[in-house]
Amino acid sequence: MNEERHKGGTSLTDLRKLRHQMPRWVLALLVFGVAAVVASRITHLLMMLIAAAIIAYIFSSVICALERLGIKRSVAVILLFVLVTVFVIAADLIFIPDLKQEIMNSYAKFPEFSRQTQDALLFTAEKYPFIESSITKLVDDVFGPSGFLERTLSASEILMQATPFIMALILVPFFVFFLLKDWPGVMKRVMDWIPPSYVETTISVIAEINILVGKYLRGLAGDCFVVGVLASVGLWLIGINYPIMLGILSGVANIVPYLGPIIGCTISSLVALMQYRSFDPVLNVVVLYLAVKLLDDLVIQPLMIGKSVHLHPMLLVITLIVGEKLFGIMGMILGVPFVTAAQKIAAILLEHRRETHKRECAERLILHRLGKSPVRPI
Amino acid sequence: MVLDNKIVRRYFTWALDTTRESHLRTLSDVPLFTGMGKKLLRKLLIDLIEKKYTAGDIIFHEGESGKAVYVVIEGSVKIIKKSNSESKTLAVLGPGSHFGELSLIGQCSRFATAVAEKDSLLLIMYKSYFDDLIRGNSAISSRILLNLAEILSKYIQRDQPE
Repeated sequence: MNEERHKGGTSLTDLRKLRHQMPRWVLALLVFGVAAVVASRITHLLMMLIAAAIIAYIFSSVICALERLGIKRSVAVILLFVLVTVFVIAADLIFIPDLKQEIMNSYAKFPEFSRQTQDALLFTAEKYPFIESSITKLVDDVFGPSGFLERTLSASEILMQATPFIMALILVPFFVFFLLKDWPGVMKRVMDWIPPSYVETTISVIAEINILVGKYLRGLAGDCFVVGVLASVGLWLIGINYPIMLGILSGVANIVPYLGPIIGCTISSLVALMQYRSFDPVLNVVVLYLAVKLLDDLVIQPLMIGKSVHLHPMLLVITLIVGEKLFGIMGMILGVPFVTAAQKIAAILLEHRRETHKRECAERLILHRLGKSPVRPI
Repeated sequence: MVLDNKIVRRYFTWALDTTRESHLRTLSDVPLFTGMGKKLLRKLLIDLIEKKYTAGDIIFHEGESGKAVYVVIEGSVKIIKKSNSESKTLAVLGPGSHFGELSLIGQCSRFATAVAEKDSLLLIMYKSYFDDLIRGNSAISSRILLNLAEILSKYIQRDQPE
């Protein structure tokens, strides 16, 4: 029987031996690889969980402030949810009508916009013959009988896209509630489970992630808000239609490093082109977005996000590409803080390993000097 | 402060976090936090992490780089200093005591080993949280730094030859 095992398959003991022989970093890489594959298979759920974690992170400081007043955490979370609901209703009553009007207008005028865009693009193609064929192909692909718009705006497609969105609208607040309410309890259990020799290292890892991701996300939210407001005001000043909607879009798009501002600028330029059928306002829009980007890079980001995220430019680009390949837009957004946190964690774990090794060497040295150990210290 | 208001205490007990009150009382006895009002202590308490140790658990080893300060809430902790082959017990700390405070100042290594003598409940404050706290709150920082200076001066006086 045993012989058979040796010849044919791998016994449990062999597997255990393999586990002990395998360097820890190989094991860690394997675990990470399996986790990445599983995560890429359940992207939808993962994205909702990540979105919930981000929202919980942003609101965690409000909960802490309420707790510091002596209010029970569960009550603080309920209070926050009530406040947010009241705010949303108030915003719907006071601020949203303009935005609603813009959305309804743009929806009603969509066929006209579509025709105007086609005309504007064909007009551009006529003016610049060297790009005529590409523009004609683009118009066919987007506005043609079975083009992108036809497919995207069909009832079945809208329903298919709306289902996960509605699910997210229900599930994300649900996850946020429990993440906010039960996080300290989870932490307590994790701490009870951690062996004493790893406590300080674990706390350092948790604290560093907490400080870094917290700073990054809060900073990013502030940055997007300011960029959105600046874009809205700028677009309104240069007389482009739907400044609020375009501002919100630019602010949200700004979350994605590098690509976001380009998306915002492109959409606003298209609106300007449709509105004026001339390139002068488009130039104004491009200049506006360049100015906002410059202001963002030089003033807003350093103030809001600060120096929380340090990544080598090459590593940053690789992170964005890998993040996009694995998890799409969410991967691009979270890749940067994830890799920065991973760098910090690796540094902390290496320090822990170095110290444990140093201590073990010192203990062996003492035992050797006392003649209690036959092994020479390393 | 909401919790200290008598009317609030009477009618909104269900909404108030009373479980932290006992920790708060112990924390007010800790020499490192002497002179801090309930308001400041409550701010401090939010960032402290709770951890249970069983008797005999080594909390940290001598010579390790310190990253946190500990407060004893329940049980007791023995502070041991090794010299050659002998171990000398420097102190046995009970509820309301703290240890590892030197880690709050720069990159100090642990001066001695801390071992849980009985099953103990400790509150742990990580150095980065402390740095964040003193950066953002001058009342807490000035009080703690003053207490720290006082504790250090006591250590120096104690170690002076007679």
